[in-house]
Amino acid sequence: MFDDFERRVSAALRAPVADDARARERIMQRVRRAAGEGQRPVRRGQSWQRLSRYSIIGLGLAAGLSGVSSLSALAPSASRDGGSGASVAILGDTVAATLHDTLRLVRLMFDAPSARRVAVVGDFNDWGARPTPLTRDGDRQWSVTLALHAGEHRYAFVVDETRWVPDPRDERRVRGADEHVYLLLNVARAAN
Amino acid sequence: MSDRAIIHLVLSGDVEAYSRLVDRHYDRCARIAVRILGNREDAEEAIQDAFLRAFKALGDYEDRERFSAWLTRILVNQCRTVLARSKRRDSLFIDMDPADVHFAAAQDEGDGHWPELEHVLARLPAEQREAIVLKYADDLTYEEMSKITGAGESALKMRVQRAFARLRAMLSEVPSV
Repeated sequence: MFDDFERRVSAALRAPVADDARARERIMQRVRRAAGEGQRPVRRGQSWQRLSRYSIIGLGLAAGLSGVSSLSALAPSASRDGGSGASVAILGDTVAATLHDTLRLVRLMFDAPSARRVAVVGDFNDWGARPTPLTRDGDRQWSVTLALHAGEHRYAFVVDETRWVPDPRDERRVRGADEHVYLLLNVARAAN
Repeated sequence: MSDRAIIHLVLSGDVEAYSRLVDRHYDRCARIAVRILGNREDAEEAIQDAFLRAFKALGDYEDRERFSAWLTRILVNQCRTVLARSKRRDSLFIDMDPADVHFAAAQDEGDGHWPELEHVLARLPAEQREAIVLKYADDLTYEEMSKITGAGESALKMRVQRAFARLRAMLSEVPSV
């Protein structure tokens, strides 16, 4: 049983230490740097069943990395999914931060209120062998932040693991070696 | 969102999701590291290294263990590394005049903050200090402590008992009955 002295020692050891608000950010800076240098974690022995290609409807084209303004410019361009009636629209891409001169953090946002799951596949995650899930930020919007090298990337959103997102516009669509149609995303090289 | 769900996001490529784990576990790690190492500067080095190592090794994390316990094991190893190489290690073992110790004990105002205790903690052998901090700053069971430190449960219980006895003697406290 605790006596009074032990209780006081225990309470003192549990007491919080003075908080340094920037300490957490310093950790994340090192984490981002490590990720940028290719030291990102990979699940051991991960197996993944490739996504079905039978229910491909289409996919959209995201804006180039022109900043936050692209979000509002693309927001009205929702399209209807004939299968489930889900309304989907690509909101745009914004550069969230610059890691170093060849790698940038890119935030992808996606509007799909009725989706249960949304993922992004592309050349940065083995073309769907390891889809990167988006997280729901609110009632409608999904998002994910990726660390991408500067240059051209091909990617697509996948809703509920089967439905590839249609794009209301035809420009900048490319067909991959697997016959899927992908978006083209240009990640600008960071200014030095 | 559970730790497991966040880890899944990070492993799927969402680097920024890791900040949620940092936010969630930072305070606990700071409590442990500051009290094991005795100063904020060394503690921050250990905490940063621990979170970075955990990030790189996240693919090796297995769900059957609590993430917090896994992270604590990494942190304790980093604390040991920092302690071993710190040129300031000797400065942890400050000499306190017995009169000061009595004064320090008298300054405890019962609000949980007992700054002088940390000075006295620094005079404990490292393994006793580590054991008592893990037991009370992190509320770990002896079984969890054993996995983290690599020491047996009975040895850890003995370390905690001896740590209390030393602290009691150094702070000149008389146990209540």
